[in-house]
Amino acid sequence: MGKYLLEVQDLKTYFKVKQGYVRAVDGVSFAIAPGERVAIVGESGCGKSVTALSIMRLVAQPPGEYKGGSILFEDMDLLDQPESVICKIRGAKIGMIFQDPMTCLNPTMTVGKQIAEGLRLHLKIRPDEARKRAITLLEQVGIPAAAERYHSYPHQFSGGMRQRVMIAIALACNPKLLIADEPTTALDVTVQAQILELMNGICREFGTALMLITHDLGVVAGMTDRVVVMYAGKVVEEAPTEELFANPRHPYTLGLLESVPRLDQVRDEELRTIEGAPPDLLAPPPGCPFMPRCAFARKQCLTMPPLDPLPKNEQHRKACWFDITDPKVQEYAERRRAAMEALKAKALETTGNKTVTS
Amino acid sequence: MMADTLVEKQTLLQVENLKLYFPLYRGLILQRVTGHVRAIDGVSFSIERGQTLGLVGESGSGKTSVARALVRLYKPTEGRIYFDGKDLATLEGEALRNMRQRIQMIFQDPYASLNPRFTIASLIAEPMVIYRYGSKQEIQDRVLELLRVVGLRPEYADRYPHEFSGGQRQRIAIARALAIQPEFVIADEPVSALDVSVRAQVLNLLRQLQRQFSLTYLFISHDLSVVRHFADRIAVMYLGKIVELADRDELYAVPRHPYTKALLSAVPIPDPKVEKRRSRIILSGDLPSPINIPSGCHFHTRCPMAQEICRKEEPRFEPKGNGTHYAACHFSDKVSGTEDA
Amino acid sequence: MMDTPIEKEREDELEALLEVTPALAQKRRSQARIILDRFLRNRTATIGASFLILLFLFCFIGPFLTGHTNPNQPNLLAPDAAPSLAYPFGADDVGRDLLARAAVGGQVSLLVGLASMLVAILLGTAIGAIAGYYGKLLDNILMRITDVFLAVPTYLLLFVLSASFTNGSVYSIIVLISIFGWTTAARLVRGEFLALKEREYVMAARTVGAKDFRLMFRHILPNAIGPIIVNATLLVGQNIILESVLSYFGFGVQAPFPSWGSLISDGQGQINTDPKLVFIPGILIFLTVLSCNLVGDGLRDAFDPHMTER
Repeated sequence: MGKYLLEVQDLKTYFKVKQGYVRAVDGVSFAIAPGERVAIVGESGCGKSVTALSIMRLVAQPPGEYKGGSILFEDMDLLDQPESVICKIRGAKIGMIFQDPMTCLNPTMTVGKQIAEGLRLHLKIRPDEARKRAITLLEQVGIPAAAERYHSYPHQFSGGMRQRVMIAIALACNPKLLIADEPTTALDVTVQAQILELMNGICREFGTALMLITHDLGVVAGMTDRVVVMYAGKVVEEAPTEELFANPRHPYTLGLLESVPRLDQVRDEELRTIEGAPPDLLAPPPGCPFMPRCAFARKQCLTMPPLDPLPKNEQHRKACWFDITDPKVQEYAERRRAAMEALKAKALETTGNKTVTS
Repeated sequence: MMADTLVEKQTLLQVENLKLYFPLYRGLILQRVTGHVRAIDGVSFSIERGQTLGLVGESGSGKTSVARALVRLYKPTEGRIYFDGKDLATLEGEALRNMRQRIQMIFQDPYASLNPRFTIASLIAEPMVIYRYGSKQEIQDRVLELLRVVGLRPEYADRYPHEFSGGQRQRIAIARALAIQPEFVIADEPVSALDVSVRAQVLNLLRQLQRQFSLTYLFISHDLSVVRHFADRIAVMYLGKIVELADRDELYAVPRHPYTKALLSAVPIPDPKVEKRRSRIILSGDLPSPINIPSGCHFHTRCPMAQEICRKEEPRFEPKGNGTHYAACHFSDKVSGTEDA
Repeated sequence: MMDTPIEKEREDELEALLEVTPALAQKRRSQARIILDRFLRNRTATIGASFLILLFLFCFIGPFLTGHTNPNQPNLLAPDAAPSLAYPFGADDVGRDLLARAAVGGQVSLLVGLASMLVAILLGTAIGAIAGYYGKLLDNILMRITDVFLAVPTYLLLFVLSASFTNGSVYSIIVLISIFGWTTAARLVRGEFLALKEREYVMAARTVGAKDFRLMFRHILPNAIGPIIVNATLLVGQNIILESVLSYFGFGVQAPFPSWGSLISDGQGQINTDPKLVFIPGILIFLTVLSCNLVGDGLRDAFDPHMTER
């Protein structure tokens, strides 16, 4: 096997709609080494969930289409394989947990059976053996009285417990890679801490690689080795976690970090914001998708910059023409920001003559 | 319990021993009451004019119930809500309607709090129409003015909510809340459902509006990082009770309740170096059901510091230390040791 | 890749042309338009709707255009005439023009079907709204009343009522049929109101001071309209059948007004000799009800919330 467990190369997943194609994932490349914990960060609509679903080949074929690229898992291109091969990989080699455990667990099946199902399917073991293993798994994910809870139904658990069950199902066959799509977004913060600690511990113990999809930069900071930042279906920056937070090199990353309030800092002034909203993925503007909102944008940005490493740091890649730490560049950005503010104020001044329909 | 500040003009809202119990029924025809869900179980706090009180808690804490009780979407079972001297909890009819004008609310889900069949102009105008705020033309003008104030173009007036993004919808909700010039605005998780980069926009807007219109806020959130940025004083709720109430910086620096401490330690900080150094307090067990609240201190089943007395005796919510910092814990002075919060 | 140098500064600067609060996309189609488009894409539904429109024209305008305006004129010179130019549908045993009878009968059936549907829907919506919105005791009472109406054998009661209380006029038949039609609508509307009254926009409206009446009819009802319309369409078909059965047994619209049901009962004696007397009204009833159902199904699909806005 090559250096990487998972290697996504120039993946393109589009959705066909009446007016054309929605480019949900538009040329995404990244890789995960065995045992590595990688975060995919971005906001809603950036394509991170679709990327995960594409890896598992779970994208509904109409309207979804794999338009290009490859997904190499243990050197095998998952996009080329027949469904039967993929089924053997799903659950066994790659496990997945989703955001809302209530809708992902079958409400009419006991929790134990759902864990055992995967075990029996992939490992082909006897029912009583599967049952024993399922109970062990429930214990490992921290569910008390596991032997009795084996027979409970999903609705009899709390949100945090259900997520633990999901983790148990995902890890049942000891997969090499665990994909977690916003696993704690719907949970309380104290429960989130429990679940994240659990995931961390298990991944460390079994050497499972983790692909963590989230929009929460705090979670990323505590849980991951490397971060991939996505925007409008493209990767805009990628770096080891500490490096990304200390030295962001893409205007979007910078904007995100500046706009998130921190527990340990008081900022009495306003938070820096990223004005505007993400683009329409049906007809994305030419060039860099972040350009309309970017204070650093110049004419070159009408051409999409390649995702290239920094001159002094191989590990850190960015898709931006400019060095945003350069004071000259920053000066330009300030000017541009002021101009954008002025435009916005002007737009709000105009009075419309609309009737109020009450 | 709390110093009575009814006479002071500064206190806009004073809540005393608020309780909200939902009865549970059983039986087919004649329904018997078999128990209660104690959504709010005796809560007291006050807010000064122009201040922002942050109300923090996780699911089941009762914070949303407090919001709804304050706007009388629910009628309190017990307790007093003094708003500018009058007790909201017992008002009815016209008197209640009049008070309602001065208190408005922004709801959590921008996709659900705007009626999809109304144009945004009708939505914003509605409170003005109901309270007969002015002539048709005056209301119309004010709608456009409000749109400008919240940062939306006036041309949007005749569009429908589904044509807007989450952040924009929340702005519309804010415009509606401001329509009849309330003094007190309750924001129930106003940014939780929004994208990260949009949250800052809306938070800044709320701040700016507070200064512009001298508003008093009750800001409800489960996100401690957001509340830290926004509030002057913070109350922490757990299972229907306030467990700690203090000035912002003091709460974060010297928490006096184990739950607050655990909560603070659980919040992730977007800084890998800081995260590495932190020690997390992981609470054991699950949140008890609000039908079956533990005896004594509600938190004792999960508290790392719990002793025998915690199971037997409910700790009083009283001032600790300098008088503006309240906590309900038998061992509040032992909570903040030398560990970093 | 080397970062692009910015020595040639001012040349490649971008003007902040792109606006920060962008104008909204071109006004998207309104809700009604979306639903209409979706309905029109459904071929069977469109066929059903077209048939109903044609039927309407045939029944109400047709006779004047074709001159077959006299359904009750016997013509003993042409009993059981086969379809011909003078009598496109033929004639019945006493020589009455079947086309005219079918058309006028259609007028009655359609009128009764529609009018009774309107009354039933209005009544059902009002009852369901009050029951669903207020809940508790009022809901209990109203729903038990609804249950009583549902438990009663419809046809038998209608026969009895028709015989004892009505004079066979069209209006009394409309009232009669409405008595039973409202129950489904009431249940439906109650369910919608129960669900919708907990929605956040209703709570928001309450906090801005809206009172019960406004909440029910300005806020909740417009959002419940979808299922009501679907139910209404299906109710038309049901009512036409109901009316036909009543008329068949002689409890419906009385002579001299023909109705499809009475046409069938008139013609059933000659089913072996002149089957078209039964066949034609029967087919008309069948096609009409089928079309109503197709339109109803089409509307239900068109209103599906998963396909409308977010």
